[in-house]
Amino acid sequence: MSYYDIDSILTDAEKIPCTFQLDVPDLGYLDNNSGQTLKNGTRIALPLWLAEMLAIANTGDADEGKSFISFDLPPALGNDVVQALKADPRAVPLRDQSAHFYALATHMMDLSEEPELGSVLRKTFVTRAGEIALHARKVGGSAGGKGGASEEGSNLGVGGAGEEFLRGLDEWERSLFRKAHDGAKAGKEWMDNVKK
Amino acid sequence: MALPLPPGLTHSEVSFLAEMELVTVVPRQRLESIELLSGKTPPLRPPHRADLPLWLALLLKKQRRANILAPPWLHPSSLSSIIHTETIQDPQAFSPPPPPRTRASPSNPGIASRPDSDSSNLSAPFIPSSTADAPAGFLPYHWLEVAESLLAHAGDDMPAPAGEIRSLLRDLVEVRAAKMRSSTSALEGFGGGLMSLRGVGAVELAESRGFVLGVVDGVRKIGASAEATRREDEENFGGERGRAGGDDDDNESDEEMGI
Repeated sequence: MSYYDIDSILTDAEKIPCTFQLDVPDLGYLDNNSGQTLKNGTRIALPLWLAEMLAIANTGDADEGKSFISFDLPPALGNDVVQALKADPRAVPLRDQSAHFYALATHMMDLSEEPELGSVLRKTFVTRAGEIALHARKVGGSAGGKGGASEEGSNLGVGGAGEEFLRGLDEWERSLFRKAHDGAKAGKEWMDNVKK
Repeated sequence: MALPLPPGLTHSEVSFLAEMELVTVVPRQRLESIELLSGKTPPLRPPHRADLPLWLALLLKKQRRANILAPPWLHPSSLSSIIHTETIQDPQAFSPPPPPRTRASPSNPGIASRPDSDSSNLSAPFIPSSTADAPAGFLPYHWLEVAESLLAHAGDDMPAPAGEIRSLLRDLVEVRAAKMRSSTSALEGFGGGLMSLRGVGAVELAESRGFVLGVVDGVRKIGASAEATRREDEENFGGERGRAGGDDDDNESDEEMGI
């Protein structure tokens, strides 16, 4: 990931639930108690970049070796989402969970080991990729046509369900869709240009 | 980021390369041999057939100086047999590319042998796979480009009405595009991930390159942390084994050499 990768920066801004492991003076405003001490055990959603730092950094207490916070998986990667993905990867609108679903998930897998999550995600990504390619090709077919995209889409059997699926794509899948669509479009343009 | 073009060849580049393919023409006028960078063209003597590069054949065709013979795989019967192979016989794989050319040897007639690989160029643009004596029933690397330009510029020389061939080609394109899409599902499980692209044409590669690379890259990123853990485990395991063999100095150094 590049330093200037905007998606990577936005992924770092995703909030994940954290629990403080020690009292911090004057940080109470994070928990709507300005001026108070932030108590040990308070649960707060922190952005990923901050949570990562605090979880890795050491409090300096060599005896205990405790880190500032402990974190859980964000709700986007919660058990019910994983179960839904196991049941049918195509039926889950990932964008509603997080616009950077896969990026967030891979980042979380770097921080803590989740072997099951990895295999579920892999299956999800590959299954959805096939669906994405299908839609990309169909839309590509209608883009050059005279009729409106939605009209042509329904003729080809995409219909409302397809649009709903496409709306639920996260950023990785959107870029995948764009690539597949560009390929199909270039193919169509070339096919039209052969006659000239 | 800096390059506006995606990696790999674009469609227009691929179809430009396809113009190097040899096709068979029946000349209507005499034409002496032309010295090209790639070698001399055969002198044209009507009505003897000659093999010319596609671009030259199309030029002569436009000037009505020659007729182009369609390659055998472009006949409707060959195309429909390929569609049959792709859909019914082997719905998983792409139909195989044409076999290497065989040549009858004069010493023992009746037995054909493959020429030595160093004496003949076996890479894609140099096989005469679109000439009149190419094998039927096999799609060469540049099948779609050659077929499209032949249909567009030499439609009256085709063995069947251009519309019929065109609709068969469309069927074939759709069948193979669907295979290309489903080929990515081989990446689903861990350890899997081999997609055989044998027999896929250049234009199909240009069209699907972005998508397939995107899928592979995504799967790689998802598996990256698991892969890192696995490597770490392996390293730890290897380290322990190294320490266990530490009593014997020779043994240890041998192992290090092996790594």
